[in-house]
Amino acid sequence: MRRREISNVLTHFGEALQDNSLIVMLNSVGWMAATLEIVHYFGMFVLVGSIAVIDLRVMGLAGQQQSATKLAQRLFPWMWVGLALNFLSGFVMFGGIAASYIPDSTFHLKMEVVLAAVIFGIIVQWKVPAWDRLPAMPMGAKLIAAISLLLWVGAILAGNELPALSGLG
Amino acid sequence: MDSSLVTFGSWLQNRSFALAVATSDWAYPFVQATHFTGLSLWVGTTVATDLSLLGMGNQYQTPLQLFNVLFVWNWVGFCIAVLGGFLLFSASAATYLINPAFLTKLGVLIPMALMLHIVIQRKMREWGRQETPRVARIAGLVELLFWISVVSAAVSIPYFG
Repeated sequence: MRRREISNVLTHFGEALQDNSLIVMLNSVGWMAATLEIVHYFGMFVLVGSIAVIDLRVMGLAGQQQSATKLAQRLFPWMWVGLALNFLSGFVMFGGIAASYIPDSTFHLKMEVVLAAVIFGIIVQWKVPAWDRLPAMPMGAKLIAAISLLLWVGAILAGNELPALSGLG
Repeated sequence: MDSSLVTFGSWLQNRSFALAVATSDWAYPFVQATHFTGLSLWVGTTVATDLSLLGMGNQYQTPLQLFNVLFVWNWVGFCIAVLGGFLLFSASAATYLINPAFLTKLGVLIPMALMLHIVIQRKMREWGRQETPRVARIAGLVELLFWISVVSAAVSIPYFG
């Protein structure tokens, strides 16, 4: 019963997005649709590249000559800028065919992996200064960083599986 | 010239590895993900370096110090991106070789962006100190615009297909 209500709300939300004139225009004018894709990819590269280097630093595979905190303070703002660009452009593209995306299981998987990756990114950002004060990076820190890295690669893979498995995107 | 390119493309896309990527249901997304993961490392680290030359973001380290940390993974990302990109290309090489967006991307934009990238890296010892010279800021900005144009050309490929 609850599940059905949620699904109804989501369907209405999807229909509203698809009927929104701004979203329709952004997805249907050729150069605007292309710009959305460019922003989505470029944002993703900046987002994943920034967090990946921080993860590699925590794992002991990058920039050992420099403090992890300094590197993280430098790169995390770009991670959030990248995420914002990626999310906003992605949301508008999603809105264009929301009714097809909402019930799609590959899309659900992609969103779950992205959400998990963002949560791990927040954990890394929050914990880096504390880990950095210890004489060596604890094993748990390296594990969390490795999971964060794998989740982002997984998010990219899930994004590429969408057109392959569902014909969407 | 054109026809020899297409002949090369047809030869390449009939190699067994190219056929494997093109015809397998599961291989293509994995190869694509490899290309994009490499690009994330390459573009992410390049953008961070260019932005630091531009004086954007916090200044806890000089552009040179940041560059020293990012250098290895910058080129690791490049190698992964090229590997994945070559496999994607080989899966339908003949089609790519007559696509104007692809030819612009690979023949014009990437060589130019790459040359500027290498110039910036070689000049980093000089440019990456406390005071970034104006020419370094311009170089950083131009490189940033170059990589955005490379992504734009890549996104445009299907529009010409």
